[in-house]
Amino acid sequence: MDWMFMLIALLKVLVVLVVFVLMLGAVLTWVERRMSALIQDRLGPNRAQIGNVRAWGLLHPIADMFKAFTKEDFVPAGANRMLFFLAPAIALASTLACFAVIPFGPGEHFTIAPLDSGMLFIIAIGSFGIYGVALGGWASNNNFGLLGALRGAAQLVSYEVTMGLNLVGVFAVFGTMSLSQLVLGQGELLWGWLPKWGVVVQPVGFVLFLIASMAENKRAPFDLPEGESEIIGYFAEFSAMRFATFFLTEFVEIVLIAAIAATVFFGGWQIPWLDPQGVAGGFITVAQIGFFVFKIIALCWLQMLIRWTLPRFRYDQLMNLGWKVLLPLSLANIVVTAIVLALS
Amino acid sequence: MPTLKIDGIEITVEPGTRIIEACDRLGIDIPRFCYHPGLSVAANCRMCLVESNRSPKPVPSCYEMAVDGLEIQTKTQKVIDARRAVLEYILLNHPIDCPICDKAGECDLQDLYFAHNYQPSRHAFAKFHKPKARQIGPQIMADSERCINCTRCIRVCDEIAKAPQLHQVNRGGRTYIDVFPGTEIDHPYSMCVSDVCPVGALTTKDFRFKCRVWFTNGTQSVCGECSRGCSIRIDTYRNEIQRIMPRENPTVNQFWACDAGRLAYHNYETDRLQSAKANGQPVASDAAITQLATALDSVASGARVLVVLSPSMTNEAAWAAIKVGQKLKGMVRYAIGGREAGFKDDILICADKAPNRAGLALVLKTLGVEAVPLSAALAGSPQAIYIFGDDHHLEDVLVKAMDGAQLSVVFSAKDGPLANAASFAFPTMSPYEIDGTWLNEFGILQRVRPALTPTWDARPIEKWLGALTTRLLDEQIADDPAELFVTAMSSVNALDGTPLAASGLDGIGPFGIALK
Amino acid sequence: MAKLVDRPKADLVIRSYIPEVLRGLRVTSRHFWVNFLTRKNVVTIEYPEEKYPYPPRFRGQHRLMKREDDSVRCVACFLCATACPADCITIKAGERSDKNEKYPVSFEIDYIRCIFCGMCEEACPCDAIRLDSGDHKLPGYTREEEVLQKEDLLAKGGLSIAKQGGILQ
Ligand code: SF4
Ligand code: SF4
Ligand code: SF4
Ligand code: FES
Repeated sequence: MDWMFMLIALLKVLVVLVVFVLMLGAVLTWVERRMSALIQDRLGPNRAQIGNVRAWGLLHPIADMFKAFTKEDFVPAGANRMLFFLAPAIALASTLACFAVIPFGPGEHFTIAPLDSGMLFIIAIGSFGIYGVALGGWASNNNFGLLGALRGAAQLVSYEVTMGLNLVGVFAVFGTMSLSQLVLGQGELLWGWLPKWGVVVQPVGFVLFLIASMAENKRAPFDLPEGESEIIGYFAEFSAMRFATFFLTEFVEIVLIAAIAATVFFGGWQIPWLDPQGVAGGFITVAQIGFFVFKIIALCWLQMLIRWTLPRFRYDQLMNLGWKVLLPLSLANIVVTAIVLALS
Repeated sequence: MPTLKIDGIEITVEPGTRIIEACDRLGIDIPRFCYHPGLSVAANCRMCLVESNRSPKPVPSCYEMAVDGLEIQTKTQKVIDARRAVLEYILLNHPIDCPICDKAGECDLQDLYFAHNYQPSRHAFAKFHKPKARQIGPQIMADSERCINCTRCIRVCDEIAKAPQLHQVNRGGRTYIDVFPGTEIDHPYSMCVSDVCPVGALTTKDFRFKCRVWFTNGTQSVCGECSRGCSIRIDTYRNEIQRIMPRENPTVNQFWACDAGRLAYHNYETDRLQSAKANGQPVASDAAITQLATALDSVASGARVLVVLSPSMTNEAAWAAIKVGQKLKGMVRYAIGGREAGFKDDILICADKAPNRAGLALVLKTLGVEAVPLSAALAGSPQAIYIFGDDHHLEDVLVKAMDGAQLSVVFSAKDGPLANAASFAFPTMSPYEIDGTWLNEFGILQRVRPALTPTWDARPIEKWLGALTTRLLDEQIADDPAELFVTAMSSVNALDGTPLAASGLDGIGPFGIALK
Repeated sequence: MAKLVDRPKADLVIRSYIPEVLRGLRVTSRHFWVNFLTRKNVVTIEYPEEKYPYPPRFRGQHRLMKREDDSVRCVACFLCATACPADCITIKAGERSDKNEKYPVSFEIDYIRCIFCGMCEEACPCDAIRLDSGDHKLPGYTREEEVLQKEDLLAKGGLSIAKQGGILQ
């Protein structure tokens, strides 16, 4: 039965990672450009075409891919070749690995690797991404790259704390670290009508988590490691597919954050008031998976909206926000949660 | 010595000086058309009017003599009004076709209009029309509408060229310049009429529509067409000669130059030797020098060697050539080639058609070298021949002698029988590209300056020789004209140690060929 | 004198930034949805298909004007070449048989260099060169394509209303 198990796992990996996550990531690169354009009263890229088919510019990611593959792969003199090669791979792989524990639907079948301590896995593996940044910046033997890497390391370390602490509240409320249990727990109703979603019981936790995870993703308004306007950042020396990998990682991370947030704070695959135990099967299961995907997409949209709304932080502001505001707030959130839990 | 006052400034001049010359000496600007320092005074344009204390009306300063007690005003309202009025008259029937006029940019009428008139025409009637764009001689185009009837051109023909071929026809506003019926203006100085013409009425066929004058760069150089060595200005644009103009030089050519000298640059526009050649086949310069160095070694020490020098070479190149000649193996003899003597007159043109025969003689004498006549030298059927220059008469005899010789080397700017017959031919500079000095028949030493830079690997003779000697001899000869000048000319008493740069624009001299 | 800027002390609500961030999100999402659904505010002009009407003084590709007899109006005076700050006009002058005497045998404009400043038009005494064709010089793939000859420039040319050699009224 072992090989059967492996086969199924592989199939799941293929469907989730390649078909869903990577595709969504790629499409997001286009969405980002079109969306920012619409926000700014422009049209955005819509001209990539095959024959006469333009598909609103949906072909741009494909064109980008061809471009990235055919461009010169440049390795600067004095770079540490092995780390230079590894950095983008580490970044992408650690991000993708996190999807292993996300329950896409009810029951074990819809998780690649249903772990009991799924959330810990995400926090642990997700932190690996920092190596991609730090090593990439350092290995390219470029001062700007190194500056970007330093900024990145400091920023990721700072915000990881907040991000982790905000998940603690949710675990405390639902009493489990397993993501599938968490989702099942969110199927309950509060006072008989309100779905007991994470965002309902931990609203402050959600806001703090969102901020911290966006900072983790190094996107505006937290894009200091990149700092296009002054240092170009840790991937200053990366070109062609290597750069594209870093770039894609960013978008995959958007999906990841959306998936975690949907799972932890928005009831995962739960459709309110409908089959909270996930046992119905058939059409309802499909609907539940679809609803989960919808939640992910909506949360991706929200992140993009934030990215195109807020201007960038200054570095000291970033650190202040992380250590002096978010961290105390999340600690307070945990304390309050604990007290409330102890009292009830 | 009359003493007069001009604008309150006192000046004493020689008797016979015109007021305009006194003004020039003081740096006071007097506008003029018909006055030319090299010609007699006509005083017909009236542009030079000034106020005098001896006359109630303004007087033409180009005509009135400076006399004692004269007080001249050049800046009064009356003078300003007079100039303005004169210009308005002159411009009455002028076609104002500056856009198609070759003189535009160096036209006195344009300049003076902007300085002294600068008003729209008030002439409300149709203008007189006169013949335009007529060719009145092999070199000269006439546009009579532009003429201001200053008669400078007539005076040039009469007084300078001694060939009265131009005259004025008609009267009043319809007057214009013409040749006599059935004749044309074809004397050897005909292009000078276009130089003196203050407007674009007489222009040269050669320069017609070729280039606008404001694009040209002028190089002060010397004409190499005869042994007078007239001072010229070579006007170039984009590394091409556009025209050659005479340059004022009181000791050599005053203001003039002959047509032949001004058109001679066409000789070097085509058929240039563009790369070194070995036995008629192009080879790289460095390879040619290396091969030549080897070939020179193979000349037997008793061989009959002939060096043919050109009287068109600069003194510096001649010095370098003889210096190298003295180091050659074999029995070296020297001959002087060059063009044959030709037409001469008692104006400018000399019989000797080479610019530096005097200088070459001086260099030979200094180095203690005897030259034999070319025909005599060739009769001895030399085994090795070195030929400098490209304008030798007896060219076919030379070619035959080269065929018979074991080694023949040619330094030539032109491609032709000589370059093709030679074992080795090296491209050199044309007279418009060289730097150095020429000594003319009258002992004036003048600086020749390069106006063009060849786009191929042509080098001055002294540079080729320099490159050769570095290969061949333990000692290297100087190959820089400035350095060579000091050595080559140190034998002339007055010149000892004088740097090349000191040769000035008018040249130095006259020197006899008196050595130290 | 320095101007005093009024900086009210920010209270906690303002300093939490939350209301302002929400307001910002409202603005951006409103733009997004309006443009997503209706394209109402989109200002983009989809260039080759749609074209922006150029103002009348737009300086585009040059054209050489013609005389009544369809010959070139230019008299090869080189004033445009002289005025041109980019040194991109190359003219070769020649002799014409009629009374106009001089004309350009060849007239080249190198559009790699041209900066469309209009100095040539300004300098021309004959109203022979103009930049009012209303067209861009379209880009090309080779340097040669970027050098337009007299024939190309004449193709867009027309009659000038200016009179040559006119007398003062
Ligand atoms: S052609 Fe020239 S030089 Fe002769 S009279 Fe006329 S303006 Fe003077
Ligand atoms: S527009 Fe300006 S740059 Fe272009 S040709 Fe005319 S003068 Fe030259
Ligand atoms: S300025 Fe006008 S007339 Fe003169 S060359 Fe240029 S286009 Fe021709
Ligand atoms: S210059 Fe004196 S009258 Fe012409």
